[in-house]
Amino acid sequence: MAPPWCPCRALLPALALALLGLAAAAGPRQTPALELAQELAEELWGAGLPGDLPELEPECRSLLAAFAEGSAALTGCLGRRARPVRLCQGCHDHYRRLLAQYGSIARAVGNSSESHNCAKSILTSDRLQIVVTLSEFFNETWEAANCANCLKNNSEGLSNSTEEFLDLFNKSLTCFEHNLQGQGIDLSPNNYTEVCKNCNETYTKLNDLYNHLQRMNRQGGESEHSAHLCIDVEDAMNITRKLWSRTFNCSLPCSDTVPVIAVSSFILFLPIVFYLSSFLHSKQKKRILILPKRIQSNANLVNIQEKYS
Amino acid sequence: MANVAKKVSWSGRDRDDDEDGRAGETTPLLNGTGPGAAGSGRQLTPSSFLRIGQLSNVDLNEDIHELETEVPRQRPNEIPHNEKLLSLKYESLDYDNSENQLFLEEERRINHAAFRTVEIKRWVICAMIGILTGLVACFIDIVVENLAGLKYRVVKDNIDKFTAKGGLSFSLLLWATLNASVVMVGSLIVAFIEPVAAGSGIPQIKCYLNGVKIPHVVRLKTLVIKVCGVILSVVGGLAVGKEGPMIHSGSVIAAGISQGRSTSLKRDFKIFEYFRRDTEKRDFVSAGAAAGVSAAFGAPVGGVLFSLEEGASFWNQFLTWRIFFASMISTFTLNSVLSVYHGNAWDLSSPGLINFGRFDSEKMGYTIQEIPIFIFMGVVGGILGALFNALNYWLTMFRIRYIHRPCLQVVEAMLVAAVTATVGFVMIYCSRDCQPIQGSSVAYPLQLFCADGEYNSMATAFFNTPEKSVVNLFHDPPGSYNPMTLGMFTLMYFFLACWTYGLTVSAGVFIPSLLIGAAWGRLFGISLSYLTKGSIWADPGKYALMGAAAQLGGIVRMTLSLTVIMMEATGNVTYGFPIMLVLMTAKIVGDYFVEGLYDMHIQLQSVPFLHWEAPVTSHSLTAREVMSTPVTCLRRIERVGTVVDILSDTSSNHNGFPVVESNPDTTQVAGLRGLILRSQLIVLLKHKVFVERANLNLVQRRLKLKDFRDAYPRFPPIQSIHVSQDERECMIDLSEFMNPSPYTVPQEASLPRVFKLFRALGLRHLVVVDNRNEVVGMVTRKDLARYRLGKEGLEELSLAQT
Repeated sequence: MAPPWCPCRALLPALALALLGLAAAAGPRQTPALELAQELAEELWGAGLPGDLPELEPECRSLLAAFAEGSAALTGCLGRRARPVRLCQGCHDHYRRLLAQYGSIARAVGNSSESHNCAKSILTSDRLQIVVTLSEFFNETWEAANCANCLKNNSEGLSNSTEEFLDLFNKSLTCFEHNLQGQGIDLSPNNYTEVCKNCNETYTKLNDLYNHLQRMNRQGGESEHSAHLCIDVEDAMNITRKLWSRTFNCSLPCSDTVPVIAVSSFILFLPIVFYLSSFLHSKQKKRILILPKRIQSNANLVNIQEKYS
Repeated sequence: MANVAKKVSWSGRDRDDDEDGRAGETTPLLNGTGPGAAGSGRQLTPSSFLRIGQLSNVDLNEDIHELETEVPRQRPNEIPHNEKLLSLKYESLDYDNSENQLFLEEERRINHAAFRTVEIKRWVICAMIGILTGLVACFIDIVVENLAGLKYRVVKDNIDKFTAKGGLSFSLLLWATLNASVVMVGSLIVAFIEPVAAGSGIPQIKCYLNGVKIPHVVRLKTLVIKVCGVILSVVGGLAVGKEGPMIHSGSVIAAGISQGRSTSLKRDFKIFEYFRRDTEKRDFVSAGAAAGVSAAFGAPVGGVLFSLEEGASFWNQFLTWRIFFASMISTFTLNSVLSVYHGNAWDLSSPGLINFGRFDSEKMGYTIQEIPIFIFMGVVGGILGALFNALNYWLTMFRIRYIHRPCLQVVEAMLVAAVTATVGFVMIYCSRDCQPIQGSSVAYPLQLFCADGEYNSMATAFFNTPEKSVVNLFHDPPGSYNPMTLGMFTLMYFFLACWTYGLTVSAGVFIPSLLIGAAWGRLFGISLSYLTKGSIWADPGKYALMGAAAQLGGIVRMTLSLTVIMMEATGNVTYGFPIMLVLMTAKIVGDYFVEGLYDMHIQLQSVPFLHWEAPVTSHSLTAREVMSTPVTCLRRIERVGTVVDILSDTSSNHNGFPVVESNPDTTQVAGLRGLILRSQLIVLLKHKVFVERANLNLVQRRLKLKDFRDAYPRFPPIQSIHVSQDERECMIDLSEFMNPSPYTVPQEASLPRVFKLFRALGLRHLVVVDNRNEVVGMVTRKDLARYRLGKEGLEELSLAQT
């Protein structure tokens, strides 16, 4: 159809729907309204649109059903893997499938005019637009989790570095577990030296790998958005670090308070010396007064002078 | 007068002298020849005071006798520097056009179309000022960002390394040494090459726009030193900002471009010659200052208002419009260049050197109930600002009296840098406030003793450039800082910033003030939300902003322009009202204790600064008491020798001389005919415009206004002009060159009236005449500026050689 018609085309089905709804609510007694609706429907049919508007086409309905199932599955997956966070590892299949389903609704597949119509009637024909909202929610969640970061470029499966990291992560967890079991469970919280000693190597490796990944990521990504690693990796690292430094208390840095105090008090002492010596030794700057050439006979000025001195 | 003794680039011994080829021309002029040559029609100089009774060619005999009796008591004496002095070093600018015959002829020659070209040139210059100021700001920003980034990375790596192994004292030493050495370079160039580039430059520009000629203030050399100095002092980790100096930089750029040449580089582009005088230059300098503010804060309107508030006493709407144009161009240039630099070319997201970030979220709004709280914050800001100023006053006084040698100043700056690093390190070392690193935008997260994956929250405040710290304080989500951290930070930074301002480094006070204010404001916000059990409106970022405004207002006491600057920097117009209230309260409360930091420094520098109005209680004073007398006058046709002697007398370094009718009868004072300036006389002597030479047809051409402009603004000192013994006997006709219509007042005019005339017209010399139009005295800037409203009423300042 010609471009100037486009806004009308968007309006017409809505109008028809509204009229039909009115007719249905009013019941069979309001024949003129029903007739009007039927007339309108016929008119629309004449304009190349399907007549049975209230009903969704079968293809569209199946697309919608697929999307509904897909989103239910993804929601379930996300919910189940919320803690500890395993979203990207576990749900990327679901997500990809949902993306495809949404795409097939939105995009033209098969008979172009019909499927176009399908997209319109599912996605944009009401105020709520639940399908769009759902898909936006999933997209946003995925973006926020930054999952793309630990998936392969075609988002099939985890990337190699992520695999490596998760491997190492599992190894350190095993190591922790192993050493703790060897020690017995009811130990005082300060007595994790065994763990610290034995797992230090794995932990350091994991930490280094994480830092390395972070650095690589920061260099590669242009915008600030990709400054984060994906949530799985971040969370895994967080858990490990928390265990390591909070629970096991392993990262005890040597605090050399005495030299720091000595050096800082030395530096803080310097200005005092400086100011004292410059006060005592530096010659105070004197200003030479210039006598102004003025008439000084007035009483007012004498007053001022008295006040001044 | 500093530049008398200096060797000036264009020497008096040039073509004209050589052409003359007289044998006696090299006879040096002795300064001491003054009294001997003291001829008719003039009396002068303190040295001739004692004999003034014998000269007695002024009919003020009784006064002179009184003067005579006072002379023995007032021997030139030395006193320690204090704030009640006016320095002889500073002179006025000639804002009043000398409307002599040459000028009138030239103006008559310029037709309507030519005036239009002049107008277009003005716009072109304003655009160039904007562009160059923006580019300089970009340069500073990029270099600071990179150098500071490098420094913080090095120190961070070092700290990370030594945290594991032990030996953190080495990190401390490294940090302190890095800071001190960078600051040393910055301080060296300022102290030894261009001392006027020290500080923020706002007091100096304020004085310049007020009409005081601060030596070297708008030179290219100053600009270079200023820019390098700012970069080095910010990278050196001092508690300073790079925003204040932008105003000075913009002014220098404006002064340079509008003249179309650089005397330092000895390049003359032969353009914009029309603008080579103080009046025009001042207008461009105010545009430059506005462009500087605009580039610093991304606040074009604020820049215009800054020029209006702080500087330009002379204002019209075309000038305002041009200045606004320059400001807009400046912020746009900065914005587009920085966007390209940051990689998102068409984004235009960084309009100023400091961006406060966006304040438009739901939580950042304010309600009417909060306004009393904001006003209370204004009171706190006023008190803290007054405390800051009072401490800085004592410190500056000490510095002027005892730390006046350049090497001592450099050592002091280094010590401050080292101590700043040490204080920062100790604070970070002692702090146990750890925050999770995830989701925060910390540039250099320092772990130190925190658990893995966490960073030290004190380090975000200290281990960062001050600009970034300010933005962090505004925008970090609630809970990023614990109250203890903020309290300690405020306390330490307050003293550091106070100590730092006034060092011999070029650095501004805007950012440190904002930072102190943001810290205590945030602390205030946190305690408020604690008291109100976590009400939604107690977002600490909002209070940090108000605290920053209050603190800055309490220190610098700017009102209108600061409100608009803050408003534009936050990008939120609805904040205008609370910011205005806060700044108003801070100013009122602060003014109750001490005056603003800039005014204080102007006073401490003994600058003859004229405020908007005369002191309120000065109505009883008349021009007769205010003026200087007796006046050194010249006759309309004067002996060259006399002129040379007057000009070379170092004890009376006058710049304007009333011209009186040449009267053969020397005992009679003749009526006032005009006023001639020292600079004009020097140009006349240099070109040897003598009556005898004109009669002998030795003068090739008539002197034109261009000859005076070419010498501007660095007129050679009289010592470099050589006048032979024969030439001394020649006569010089001043009638063509003097300003035939100088402003005069009668003796009975009151001080406020004289003041108003002087201030509104931007005068340099105001002749006091009696009812026979005879010169009885002269009012200059120093005569008016010496009256000041002090604590106990009207005070009089004394003149001093500094």
